[in-house]
Amino acid sequence: MKSSVTPFRARRLIYLRDLFQELVARDIKLRYKRSVLGIAWSLLVPLAQLLVLYFVFRLVLPLNIPNYTTYLFTGILPWTWFHSSLLAASGTIVDNPELVKQAGFPVAILPTITVTSHLIHFLLALPILFIFLFFDGYHLTSAILALPLVIMLQFILTLSLAYLVAPFHVRFRDTNYLLGILLMLVFYLTPVFYDAATIPARYQMLYRLNPMVNLLGAYRHILIQGELPNLQSLLVLYAISAGLLSLGYMVFMRAHYRFVEEL
Amino acid sequence: MGNAIVVKNLGKRFHRYPADRPQTLHEALLGGLRRLRPAERFWGLRDVSFSVAAGQMVGVVGRNGAGKSTLLRLLGGIGRPDEGQVKVNGRVGALLSLGAGFHPDLTGRENVFISGVISGLTRREVAQRFDSIVAFSELEESINNPLRTYSTGMQMRLAFAVAAHTEPNILLLDEVLAVGDLSFQRKCTERIAQFKAEGCTIILVSHEPTLIRELCDDAIWLQGGRLAAHGPAAMVVDKYVAEADAETRRRTPETRPILHTISGTALQVNENRFGSLELEINAVYLLDSEGKLAPELDSGDPLCVEINYQATQPIHAPIFSVTITDRDGTVCYDTSTAAAALTLPTVKGQGQIVLHFERLDLNAGLYYINVRAYERDWTYAYDYHWHVYPLTIRSANGDQGILRPPHHWEIGGAQYNDNFLYPRSATPHEEVKTVAKE
Repeated sequence: MKSSVTPFRARRLIYLRDLFQELVARDIKLRYKRSVLGIAWSLLVPLAQLLVLYFVFRLVLPLNIPNYTTYLFTGILPWTWFHSSLLAASGTIVDNPELVKQAGFPVAILPTITVTSHLIHFLLALPILFIFLFFDGYHLTSAILALPLVIMLQFILTLSLAYLVAPFHVRFRDTNYLLGILLMLVFYLTPVFYDAATIPARYQMLYRLNPMVNLLGAYRHILIQGELPNLQSLLVLYAISAGLLSLGYMVFMRAHYRFVEEL
Repeated sequence: MGNAIVVKNLGKRFHRYPADRPQTLHEALLGGLRRLRPAERFWGLRDVSFSVAAGQMVGVVGRNGAGKSTLLRLLGGIGRPDEGQVKVNGRVGALLSLGAGFHPDLTGRENVFISGVISGLTRREVAQRFDSIVAFSELEESINNPLRTYSTGMQMRLAFAVAAHTEPNILLLDEVLAVGDLSFQRKCTERIAQFKAEGCTIILVSHEPTLIRELCDDAIWLQGGRLAAHGPAAMVVDKYVAEADAETRRRTPETRPILHTISGTALQVNENRFGSLELEINAVYLLDSEGKLAPELDSGDPLCVEINYQATQPIHAPIFSVTITDRDGTVCYDTSTAAAALTLPTVKGQGQIVLHFERLDLNAGLYYINVRAYERDWTYAYDYHWHVYPLTIRSANGDQGILRPPHHWEIGGAQYNDNFLYPRSATPHEEVKTVAKE
């Protein structure tokens, strides 16, 4: 070819990077352009949720958690990222038939794009969380340096589930409804608005099988307590997530040959 | 030159599921688990082997469901073969669908980048080609407007412009030429010829046998997922068309009440009428410029061929053709809706289609206007009236041959029209002009 002096493999990597950037940018731009509120729209959901939960658990059924707003918001933001990524990922194949049918298109990139564009919304909302932290008198410590590690962990965990969910939705088109119900159940099994320590000791083992429990714990360690999270449990989670990711990727790659026929 | 494409014993199996296959988990759990298994497996493509030399252009013909699109997809690396292998040497560009990734809310510029990257270019490569892409699409004025403000034609131009700049070594084309207006189609055809001249290997799938005969070196004919023929394009296309004629005869019902046309000719199945009759041509009128029945016309007169048809069931995109033959059956002229790049919608019930000849410059004699309605792939005819509608062309002089183009003689600077006996000679270009030279 005329212009590609770069060797084949290097070109492929550049190509994948460009494709990734363009598609993520498309996702973000579309959200930005479609509504007057633009990016603020993606903040509206977590803020509304904050308001509701604050009202219920501060005024109606008070939970005695200090600085409840900040506590809530450190839970709501990661949860929203997790929740909306998975819901969007279930439709990512079905919503992009023309890409799936494109010769040479790496279909496996689609779930990563969904999770990434929701990561960007998460990052854009972080400054608001820092404002809450500031007003509640928290000071950021050097533990904040561990935050990228936790974010990365959540990314891997979410992506591995996205890989499992996406092909399932191609086959059964009601997957996203069921997923919505499932996520609602998981929401209550995750300490977003309550303290994980209030779960009775005999259920703790079972309760902690939900990876989101330790993940939210890690966020709060860093942001609220200002200390490093339990590195051991973080490592275990990393190992589990990596395993899940390779499983999810394998399932996805096995199924992806059939996508064209099912669309 | 080596082979650009080598296909060996290629097979792709499909599953046919029960009609009530559960589409949702909800249905599946409510007792549909049995129905999740395919009722039947069948080979969409099997035992297909061929190779294409680099720089060759190969057409693929075959009726619907013969495996053409499946073959193209496998060549493009979409899906996995169940048997055999596909080896493709080079960068594959595919025009299987135009405008992949286009979004109406983004501007033309943004869409060019996204679509270019999706078609296999890096951002830098798109940026380098950007001006050329815009120039090709002729959309300099509106490139920064959102795509939704574009007409369909403009969107197609932009999509093709991007595709035309992907510089593939191997190009897969699937009927994309059938969209857009005529000038856009010409542009596409020119660009494809240019690809070919640059040494690009091209695989073209088309329903239009004439297009393949014109453009391709070789052709592949797929029938029921198997390779029916592979060879020089003209040969394979002729075979395919001949098979379509044979198919028409096979599908022609044995008995059918004899109909009479307005001129009194009996329409008799398997005599002068062929076809499956899923769509019936029930009346054909030859009309002059005033809309009156015209069994006789003067040479150079306009002619309207009005075809009235009836479809007892919905027929998708039928093709209508009109052929003028002389009394021996020699074809003087042949045209069709497909040749004019027209795609009819799905038709049902009564309908009418009219072909206007602005002039019919045939020489004097007896001709027949033959009309045909074809299945959308030219696989067989729905109805074919052959030598049923006679048309006599009058001409006052003794010209020989089939054609009688407008003409005049010039002798010593004076121009003469040979039509002075002719009652309707007052058309401007046939006027007798006397040029005063002295």
